[in-house]
Amino acid sequence: MEIDRVDGRTANQLRPLACSRNILNRAHGSASWSQGDTKVLAAVYGPKVGTKKNENPEKACIEVIWKPKTGQIGKPEKEYEMIVKRTLQSICVLTINPNTTTSVIVQVVNDDGSLLPCAINAACAALVDAGIPLKHLAVAICCCLADSGCVLLDPTKLEEQKTKAFAYLVFPNLTLSILPEGSLKVEGEPVEQAIITSVTQGAMSVDDYLHCLERGRAASAKMSAFLRRSLPPQNPSDSSRAG
Amino acid sequence: MGLPDASGDLSSEVEVDAFRRLFPLRFCERHLSESIRPDGRPLGRARDTTIALGAVASADGSALAKIGSTTMLAAIKMEVMTPSMESPDEGCLAIDFHMPPICSPIVRPGRPAEASPVVSKQLSDTISSSGMVDLKELSLVSGKAAWMAYLDIYCLDADRALFDAALLSAVAALSHLQFPTVSLNEDGRVVVVVSEEDGGKLEKEPVNREKRKLTLKSIPFSLTCILHKNYILADPTAEEESIMETLVTVVLDSSSQLISLYKPGGPVLANTSVIQDSIALTRQRVRELQKILDEANSGMEVD
Amino acid sequence: MAGKPGTNPTTYSPSMATGKTRPRIFKDHDVDWVRPDGRGFHQCRPAFFRTGAVNSASGSAYAEFGNTKVIVSVFGPRESKKAMMYSDIGRLNCNVSYTTFATPVRGQGSDYKEFSSMLHKALEGAIILETFPKTTVDVFALVLESGGSDLHVVISCASLALADAGILMYDLVASVSLSCLGKNLVIDPVLEEESYQDGSLTITCMPSRYEVTQLSITGEWSTPKINEGMQLCLDACSKLAMIMRSCLKEATSTSQE
Repeated sequence: MEIDRVDGRTANQLRPLACSRNILNRAHGSASWSQGDTKVLAAVYGPKVGTKKNENPEKACIEVIWKPKTGQIGKPEKEYEMIVKRTLQSICVLTINPNTTTSVIVQVVNDDGSLLPCAINAACAALVDAGIPLKHLAVAICCCLADSGCVLLDPTKLEEQKTKAFAYLVFPNLTLSILPEGSLKVEGEPVEQAIITSVTQGAMSVDDYLHCLERGRAASAKMSAFLRRSLPPQNPSDSSRAG
Repeated sequence: MGLPDASGDLSSEVEVDAFRRLFPLRFCERHLSESIRPDGRPLGRARDTTIALGAVASADGSALAKIGSTTMLAAIKMEVMTPSMESPDEGCLAIDFHMPPICSPIVRPGRPAEASPVVSKQLSDTISSSGMVDLKELSLVSGKAAWMAYLDIYCLDADRALFDAALLSAVAALSHLQFPTVSLNEDGRVVVVVSEEDGGKLEKEPVNREKRKLTLKSIPFSLTCILHKNYILADPTAEEESIMETLVTVVLDSSSQLISLYKPGGPVLANTSVIQDSIALTRQRVRELQKILDEANSGMEVD
Repeated sequence: MAGKPGTNPTTYSPSMATGKTRPRIFKDHDVDWVRPDGRGFHQCRPAFFRTGAVNSASGSAYAEFGNTKVIVSVFGPRESKKAMMYSDIGRLNCNVSYTTFATPVRGQGSDYKEFSSMLHKALEGAIILETFPKTTVDVFALVLESGGSDLHVVISCASLALADAGILMYDLVASVSLSCLGKNLVIDPVLEEESYQDGSLTITCMPSRYEVTQLSITGEWSTPKINEGMQLCLDACSKLAMIMRSCLKEATSTSQE
């Protein structure tokens, strides 16, 4: 089933990806990530001494600060902060630096759809750049359900508004992980099949959702490969201490 | 956490309460392995749920929902606004979720809880996604006046499942909503008509004589589950949520459409079968909640 | 649609059509009027109390006087804020807030600073602060629905919540207010009466000790009127305290079963 997209892409085609790391001097780690015209800048500071109220003697704390392109931070931004924070928490090895806080600042440069996935990808690259120990990487993608029932990947803002439903999905990217085998297996299925984060908007049938999941998963492989290419090969070696 | 191995040996010696405090995860897992929860529920069962409609007399629609000890009070106040140029036939629904300091030890006055804007956003997203409320029904005089429905939800007691309880109370309040009978006065402002006794002698014809209630299409209901290892625990308590962090919230409407599948991170990854299982649990729960809501509504009609 | 609070147009709540239900103005010579809810002038609204309304709090109580509905939660004694200086005695921290739908016209749900400090002063004298040095007890009240005489309901409810939390007090604190309408004194006024009152008097006292912790008077009062009003309130307070006491007894007896 083919569908015409405004920018001439096929349903499964992503917009051009771009990622550059270490672009800010003073941050401990930074990265910019763009998907077409959507661009997000992320900076990581830390781990620093945890003086915040949510410090925890057993685990490191991650705080996410979302900076919108313009204007004040409102409810949607607060929600994004929470989603990014919980997603990053699940990929970081929090037990290595207990009682510390790592701040991730997400600056939106331009929003042309798929903003949250783009931000998660940027934050993930920035964490790697800062050398924060990670269990594995994460890739985020937006799947959009057109009225005809077919799934469009990586929609632009216009497409997001026009379609009836969309899902932001985050998948793990495990290939370079050195975690003990099987520790992350979910009922025997390989972990790549599982999702870290899912946020949906709009009504859809359960089958449509599962369909989105499948397509998103397939596309995430491409993005994983890109993410890994844009990071130095020896990169997640810090996480060798994870196990 | 802690020393998982040492706890096994200690368990026979220390008292249950001490064990529960020292090794909460162990304590919980022991129960789970027997397919039971620390509070005696089976894994898939939600806590007792009640709805009371019309709890606030000063509001146009209100409901008190309780899931376990989590208590939510939702009330709707109708105000009049001039509709926007783009949609002259539509009213507006503004949803806000509050966590006052009374509800939990972690909320202090002047410092709003982190969770409240997030739940608030989730609620308005869910209710708009489900298309439950037709905003056209909130119109009074096309282009001139429309209802602005302020739906405020207060958490009176927070024992997790905040979103589930908040959504339930919001939905119940919407089903209880009765529009005040109003008419236009000379200045074009909308005024309330008090008609009960002198019904015939109204000098102004009410503009909304027929439309007194909202027609709710496809009502959304939700269930939050905890994922832990291979277990799926429906409707977690605060104790369970403090030791197992992965949450999945599924919202389905009465026609089994998926309104939202919300899993914000968490150490446990969800694969397709887990997702399907939690959707199946939610289906069951939707039927339960629908029944509870219907009973509450029919109870109101009897009065 | 929902979730765009920034773009909300200005709204107003549809007021009553003028001339329809304009409440009666109470005239001095007009002694025969009845109260909106049909009570006698010296009759309080039926009071309902229930402790343990909020599970996550150390102690809590719910109070309902007619349409006035209030929940009070007590947290602590717990660590004082870091910025606080060392203190030999415990601290009491009070906060009163309203829901947006509590009042007939939708409010902002903001804090009521004045009520908070009144509540603090009313309770301070009754709590044995020496029993929890260096720590703070937080008393938070939420008015779910305002039906008049909110403050005195909050105060009585708060003392019950404190008792439920096991905070040591010299005695339960009961509070009653009355309004002066012309030459009549009406006890426990409802919202409508409060809006027409010429003066008000609120007494907060510890009935068993026959001590007053707070007395506030607004408006113009003659000395004999004050005496009469105070006597009325004190009597009502001791009756109210009996109801509160029985509520506490009931709660403990059911928990023992």
